Amino acid sequence: MRGIRIVILVAFAALVLSPLTAAAQVPSSPAAKASIEKELSQTPAAPQEVKPETQSAAPAPAVKPAKKVPEKRTETIVPAFSGIKERTAVFVFYVWLWLSIVVLIYFLRLWVKESDRVYHAKYYEPDESPRKANPMPPTLGD
Amino acid sequence: MKIDMKKVGAWFDDRLALTPIFKYMTKKEVPQHEHSIWYYTGSSILLFLAIQIVTGIMLALYYKPTLEGANDSVGRIMTDLPLGWLVRSIHSWSATFMIAFVLTHLLAIWFTKSYRKPREATWMTGMMLLVVSMVFGFTGYLLPWDDLSLSATKVGTNIPNAIPVVGKWVTQFLRGGDDVTGDTLTRFFLFHVCILPLVIFAILAVHILLVQKEGMSVPLEAEVKKKKVPALPFWPNFILREVMIWLVLLGTLLTVALVFAPTLGPSADMMAPAPAGVKPEWYFLFLFQTLKIFPGNMGPVTGEFVAVVLILVAIVAIFFLPFIDTKPEGKKGRIINYLGVLGLIYAIVFSIWSLL
Amino acid sequence: MRIDNAYFTRRKFLNSILGGWLGTLAVTFVSPIVKFVWPPYKEPDEVKLAFADFAGMKPGEVKGFPWGAKPGLLKRAEDGSFIAFIGVCSHLDCNVSWMADKKKFFCACHEGWYDENGMNIAGPPPKPLRRLETSVEGEDFFVRKPGAGAKA
Repeated sequence: MRGIRIVILVAFAALVLSPLTAAAQVPSSPAAKASIEKELSQTPAAPQEVKPETQSAAPAPAVKPAKKVPEKRTETIVPAFSGIKERTAVFVFYVWLWLSIVVLIYFLRLWVKESDRVYHAKYYEPDESPRKANPMPPTLGD
Repeated sequence: MKIDMKKVGAWFDDRLALTPIFKYMTKKEVPQHEHSIWYYTGSSILLFLAIQIVTGIMLALYYKPTLEGANDSVGRIMTDLPLGWLVRSIHSWSATFMIAFVLTHLLAIWFTKSYRKPREATWMTGMMLLVVSMVFGFTGYLLPWDDLSLSATKVGTNIPNAIPVVGKWVTQFLRGGDDVTGDTLTRFFLFHVCILPLVIFAILAVHILLVQKEGMSVPLEAEVKKKKVPALPFWPNFILREVMIWLVLLGTLLTVALVFAPTLGPSADMMAPAPAGVKPEWYFLFLFQTLKIFPGNMGPVTGEFVAVVLILVAIVAIFFLPFIDTKPEGKKGRIINYLGVLGLIYAIVFSIWSLL
Repeated sequence: MRIDNAYFTRRKFLNSILGGWLGTLAVTFVSPIVKFVWPPYKEPDEVKLAFADFAGMKPGEVKGFPWGAKPGLLKRAEDGSFIAFIGVCSHLDCNVSWMADKKKFFCACHEGWYDENGMNIAGPPPKPLRRLETSVEGEDFFVRKPGAGAKA
């Protein structure tokens, strides 16, 4: 019984996969290869051809004004501030950022030290029972 | 009408089970020992992932994933939008930081052997996350559509071609045809902003759940000697330390992004010869160099095929590492450690070599 | 710990500083993000067109021109002067069309009607079409927001 099932399954899989393998197979005979190459060379580079059409498809008012076609950019864009105002704002922001980091770490360290001290003093554990290591949260366990 | 905030809180608590989760966080303990520092790599990855999501959404507001629009829209983001170049730079640098921390996380777990039973599945989901992160980087590299990104993508998507029968099909799937075209760009964008985020969140959820389920690993020596390792509560002792590290990492990332902002080349010309110095992202360099050193033909098969098979075997072996390293405390475990060092040296040397 | 006659504890004081500083830092992060997400793109104050495109219009004829991303409508009055509108319905922002046979502007979204001077005459539009000023300066034809003035 089981053998038959496997045979049917394999046959079905082969049926499903056959279009894929056919597509992936590389023709071995030189003649077939040549014909495919010819076919490929005749296929134009599609995305470049459709370029002007996609632009004219934009919704146009009653009269479409002559729009200047932007020239293709040839130089590399180098990141830069848009002006002295932006540069100053960014500079101030970074000073503020690092100042905040220093101050916040100072306060966080106070908190950490206090938390560690409270933990080691067993402040929240009046009983001596050993803490269970890493239990599952009750909602996820059952 | 006065709203009783306590009652509102209780309503949410009742439905979302917040108290048990918070109780769990206070009960959860993080062991403290000489390798504890590596625990922080995991949360650092999450920080960079969060930054990637925020800056990624910001960039996607103005990015156009088409052959005509891609390069110009990135140019517009960099020149027209307020601090757009900085947003792009943060996205790019945060990717680098994230991959670097993912690799550090992986190496730390390799050498502390934290993948050993019962954490095999955590390791395997972690490997999946590494692969997804690298695919994120690979798909993102094409999106600015300049000469370098086009060439790198051509090389990258050509690699599966080396595998007989299936490879051609994979390459066609990646490119959306025989060549890298505007269709490739559109599907890379789709992968980058839609499919991969869904995948990474699904795997990440399992990964984090497994970490919670099994708890943090303790050093191998302590486990073998059944020694009790001192620990600190996750909340607030550990998370406050994490916040401090996040702040420093955030400041470092923003400063690096400000000083070393990436430029943008002109729109890629599909007919132009490849520009000099085509390089993939730094985390692909050693694979790039590996492909380079194999000769064109090796007997009946191509050199590329041999290289690709070797790389695939290595990835699969690393994926199943917990099942290979069955005796972490024995001789086998030591050999695995040496292999890790060897792999690290290989990756570093080959990366530097590819830059020469 | 509380100092005598103090209004708050040391704990409360430190927590407020930490929380306040963290909150302020978060706000400074939000502001550049907001600026990026809502960039200051506005409709133009004036557009420059070529007068040659419109010089041949007959009285009563209506031609379109781009007013930023909105359609502008230019009508030649009976006396030969130009009247410019922004061709966007004052009701819910749909683009209107010129019905030459009825000599009215029509908004198809909710059947709003404007007369040939842009006044709302039927349907839901609450206000007339927005008017723009026109001026011919040499070969250039300027359309401006009312009160924008010449910017030479």
